Amino acid sequence: MGTGLSFPAKPFRLAIAFNLLILLAAVFMWLAGNGQFGSITIANATEVVAASVESGGVDAEEAGAKPVPAPKLTRADYPNIGTSSRSIVWIIAQLHLFFGALVLAVPIFVLLIEYIGFKTGDDRYDDMAHEFMKISLTAYAITALFGGTLALALFLLYPGFMNYMMQAFGAQMLVYALLFFLESALLYMYYYGWDALRYGNKKWVHLTLGLLLNAVGTTLLVVANSWATFMMAPSGVDATTGAVVGNIWEVMKGPLWNPLNLHRVIANVAFGGAIVGAYAAYSFLKSTTAEARAHYDWMGYTSNFIAILAFLPLPFAGYWLMAEIYAYSQQMGILAMGGILAWLFVVQAVLISTILFAGNYYLWCGMSRSEGSVRYTWLIKYIALILTLGFLVWATPHNLILNSKEIAALGGSFHPILGPLGIMPAKNIAVFLMLIVTFLSFQIYRRSNREITVSWARKGNALLVMIYVVAIANVIFAGVYYGYFTNTVYKVGSSVIQVSSTLVVIVSGVVIDSLMFRGSKLLPSTWGKVTNASQYALFALPITFTWLMGLMGYVRSSVRSHWHVYTVVKDNSADNFIPAVGHVGMMVTLVTLLFLAILLFIFWIANLSGVKQARPEAMSVEGSTA
Amino acid sequence: MNTKKNSATDNMLTWVAALVIAAAIFYGLDHFVMSIQGLPLNWDLTPAN
Repeated sequence: MGTGLSFPAKPFRLAIAFNLLILLAAVFMWLAGNGQFGSITIANATEVVAASVESGGVDAEEAGAKPVPAPKLTRADYPNIGTSSRSIVWIIAQLHLFFGALVLAVPIFVLLIEYIGFKTGDDRYDDMAHEFMKISLTAYAITALFGGTLALALFLLYPGFMNYMMQAFGAQMLVYALLFFLESALLYMYYYGWDALRYGNKKWVHLTLGLLLNAVGTTLLVVANSWATFMMAPSGVDATTGAVVGNIWEVMKGPLWNPLNLHRVIANVAFGGAIVGAYAAYSFLKSTTAEARAHYDWMGYTSNFIAILAFLPLPFAGYWLMAEIYAYSQQMGILAMGGILAWLFVVQAVLISTILFAGNYYLWCGMSRSEGSVRYTWLIKYIALILTLGFLVWATPHNLILNSKEIAALGGSFHPILGPLGIMPAKNIAVFLMLIVTFLSFQIYRRSNREITVSWARKGNALLVMIYVVAIANVIFAGVYYGYFTNTVYKVGSSVIQVSSTLVVIVSGVVIDSLMFRGSKLLPSTWGKVTNASQYALFALPITFTWLMGLMGYVRSSVRSHWHVYTVVKDNSADNFIPAVGHVGMMVTLVTLLFLAILLFIFWIANLSGVKQARPEAMSVEGSTA
Repeated sequence: MNTKKNSATDNMLTWVAALVIAAAIFYGLDHFVMSIQGLPLNWDLTPAN
């Protein structure tokens, strides 16, 4: 039965084109990731110039004359507007990043959901994908507004710095602008053409539009990422003068570019899922019919699934980014995680624990949709216990803020018993156990409404249980033994064991369950039969994600300390210091509240567009005598 | 009675086999993951270097 669609020649050709585009994108990313387009860092910039001169590609005089040294900015180079320029740019930039993340991420999972609807022939998926795009479309204009305002603010308030950035990235600016035009065109065609290109051959056209939209959106993301990573780890510049000597690709492809690209793509999807989950929760709570409740309950579940599924690999991407920061500059790495910014990672731990608690709580509440969940609810208290213990370990600091009397009373600056929980091995154990039990929550939720009928069910379940048990033991063993009883190199290397163990649990869980679900009996399950409290968990997710993004944005900017471009363009403005944590808390809370207020406006607009006022009966028509 | 005893034995064997398989997977994983990082392990998982 499938989709009921046949595959005549034309859609088959479109299908090939669709798949070739995916292949092309993958090849491009592989080549870029393998440095096929070259990379240049500060260290070898002068060699590149010399080589260009030697090969005859660049005239010696021209090579000597062309590169303009980086500016040495003074206080007078910064306009004095009577208030902190940094605070203004901070607010605008952060809001632009929030909305940018949303509008880039939503089309990613919308395309997947639309494709699932197309393959299964289930219109519910298609309708839900269309509804998600409505939110993204409204947010798009606001993203562009903040982006334009940010550009204006940067040029007005930091003219010297922006002049240097234009030297480095000038070749890219027109490309970026053109990409935006293309993104806008594709977005409007994708959204407004939804119903016109709904079935058959035309659906392939629509899917291709969605794919192109995502390709352009992702390109916009990686282009903008290169500015941020250039500021942290500049490449393609002369080590002595800071002059831009590399070509645009060499300037873009610094050591932090790909780690940030990966981190932001995954994080955007998680963030986007959380935001649309809040929309679903908002719509669920104001639904008046059982049908509407069922629809938005299902939407909320799908959003939570996307958010948590994308969230699970995030620690690995973040770990890679931090490892590259350490490899580039040990000083920068230590500033981030061992120096004055270290406490922020304890705050990050609290926020991530909140996200995991909210996501898990939502799944546990969701189990009430099916009576078959009674078999698994006994596991919830143990999952909650591990999440709680993991949170407590993660929140335990190593260096305590103590005065001399307290140090004397404690017998040192670290707590004698809890001190060891403050270092990375303990944190790794905590976070990976939390991820494993979060996956367990997913797994028991999926099993809740099924009765497995395969003959090897007992053996399959035994293997699954043992994989969990041994994986947990392995994570703890690797963390404790290599973390506290071997040298640093083995300690750092053992974290890969923990990552791999977690991935083995996830992959084997998905594979074994897929095989065990063949021929399984579906038990009755009622969408809409869920507590209102679970919807508040869906509100907690985007609020926490937003605050976390704001916090990490502050960390990313602050690791540059008093540099606009690290070791190249010094910040000599009135704000050339890392702001205090208290001030940061206020700023991040402010931008979060602003974002949520605008988001509520977007949700209201999205709902308003579906409302049609009924024509009053007694309404008079022009020229009539009614 | 015998059937019950056989069933209990089968059950125990299933769990033991599952444990052995899982342990083997993760034991092999530990060796593999550490060796590709240039950090070889002894058979008892202690550092070889």
